[in-house]
Amino acid sequence: MAELVTGAKPIMARPRSHRGGGRNTRKYGHLWFVAPGLIFFVAFMIYPAIFAVYVSMTGWTGLGNDFPFVGFDNFIQALGTWPLYRAAINNGIMFICILLFQHTVGLFIAVQLNTKPKFMEFYRAILFMPVIISLIATGFIWTLMLSPHIGFINPVLKSIGLGFLAKNWLSDPNLALGTVIFVSCWNALGWSIIIYLAGMQNIPEELTQAAQIDGASAWQTFWRVTFPLLWPSFTSLTILTFIGSFRAFDVVYVLTGPIGSPAYRTDILGTLIYRTAFGGTGQTSVDIRMSLGIAMALIVFVVMLIIAAVLIRVLRSREVDA
Amino acid sequence: MTSLATTPPRRRPRRSQKTSRLVVGLLRHTLLIVLSLIVLVPIVYMFFASFKSVADFFGNPYGLPKEWHWDNYTRAWEEAHVSITLPNTVFVTACSVIGSTALAALIAYGISRREKPFAIGLYTLFVSGLLVPVNMIILPLFVLLKWLGLFGTLFALILPYIALGLPLGVLILAPLAATIPRDLVSAAEVDGATQWQIFWRIVLPLMKPGLISTAILNGVWMWNEFFIPLIVAFKPESQTMPVGIVAFIGSYSTEWGLVFASVVIATAPVILAYLLITRQFQSGLTAGAIKG
Repeated sequence: MAELVTGAKPIMARPRSHRGGGRNTRKYGHLWFVAPGLIFFVAFMIYPAIFAVYVSMTGWTGLGNDFPFVGFDNFIQALGTWPLYRAAINNGIMFICILLFQHTVGLFIAVQLNTKPKFMEFYRAILFMPVIISLIATGFIWTLMLSPHIGFINPVLKSIGLGFLAKNWLSDPNLALGTVIFVSCWNALGWSIIIYLAGMQNIPEELTQAAQIDGASAWQTFWRVTFPLLWPSFTSLTILTFIGSFRAFDVVYVLTGPIGSPAYRTDILGTLIYRTAFGGTGQTSVDIRMSLGIAMALIVFVVMLIIAAVLIRVLRSREVDA
Repeated sequence: MTSLATTPPRRRPRRSQKTSRLVVGLLRHTLLIVLSLIVLVPIVYMFFASFKSVADFFGNPYGLPKEWHWDNYTRAWEEAHVSITLPNTVFVTACSVIGSTALAALIAYGISRREKPFAIGLYTLFVSGLLVPVNMIILPLFVLLKWLGLFGTLFALILPYIALGLPLGVLILAPLAATIPRDLVSAAEVDGATQWQIFWRIVLPLMKPGLISTAILNGVWMWNEFFIPLIVAFKPESQTMPVGIVAFIGSYSTEWGLVFASVVIATAPVILAYLLITRQFQSGLTAGAIKG
């Protein structure tokens, strides 16, 4: 199908040609360029999204052709039980922690790199690297690093006499979520560095120089001049982190499994929806409630949409012009 | 810009400016080196771990491998089905990147004139696709792929990836296409060029930086994507590497050496490409992130 559509491009484009163009072709001819992509988009995104809304109002289990209409029952059930809130709270904690990390550690490093120290390119290349490594690979790397017996962290701690700090990082109920957040931060640090750095490089040097000539200290210059001009970076990074942390799935799947062990302490919306819709480990096919899972996904989608819109509006309104 | 923004203000700059600058520089490098190590050590550790035997993992957790087990790689190639999933990943990523970048470029040019009918509406439609979560549409997608007879083939991944790559492509390319001077296009029209020729000869070359950004951004995502194959691909023949590795873990949970050999094989191509064209990766990924 891919070949078919791509092969058709030259033929489809031709009717818009100037020489043969009537009034309609001149007016609507540009749509021929949109058509091939639109076909893909409608088939693999819009149609499934509409179908998802329909399925969420049925009692479909995911198998067979039985679509009993149940109205809003799935939504009521999803919203009326604890797991969805529990997962959302975990996502929220992840979001806040990663966000704080990005806007403190990430910003601080970006500032350091912006002073253009020696080997700056080298540091930046290294610190950005985890971003391109998949969360699956990241998860495996850290599963091994943190493993109580075969790992790196605990044996090293023991060998330097800090054995009391060696913990069951991924199975201790009080530590597991923190560990997941740490690993996510390790993977996402590069984003904050690169986005803030790009933002700072867009700030005209005259502005900071002028402030310094006027007698402002470096600290004042940063908070009064540089940082306000970094609001667009702040906005992008906040939105990116918001979407990233509420869509998280891979990292938890690998680190603590699809049931968010221990005792659902690391259960997030991604794993909850996956488990509900497709069945995770330790569940029989009876427990699989495809339509309930899709209803949850729809609720999350709508709530995220509203929060993201509000966030963008609030953050954008605080941006200033350079 | 040489002064460090976050250091405490220097009260007496004349007396000790040189020494304080030296100290600040030293602290800055220490911090950057420590952070670089936090990033690098796990990656290097994984690389060494991929050569270890199972006994070595327990007896010698953080040292170098006692014996370098190159056969971890040959065994991973066969037993962890890397011989199948690696070519799959290359093929899926290549087809999806080319497909979605090309289609996004066509769309971007098609809607580049805002006054044309539907241009703004189509732009909004495509870009709003960024917000649709995969787990919401995956099941209808599953049903659709089955109906199309693509289930169990690599096209079950390629076609959704092409569609899912479009929103970002349009987001990056549409503003670029809109900045192409109209005079250039009308001059070509006067010279008798068809719209297709204009697109191919004028618009596409001018959009090159955006095309590279789109390709890198979507390519990294497609190479690493895990959720869709987790749901639609059950056999190595139709899986890409991330899900192949996870499936392998499920059946041989103690063969850590093989697992990490697979992880190294899955990660190395992206890291190598990144080290070769670091600049393009960073600017490409940032372009998408800042606009997204």
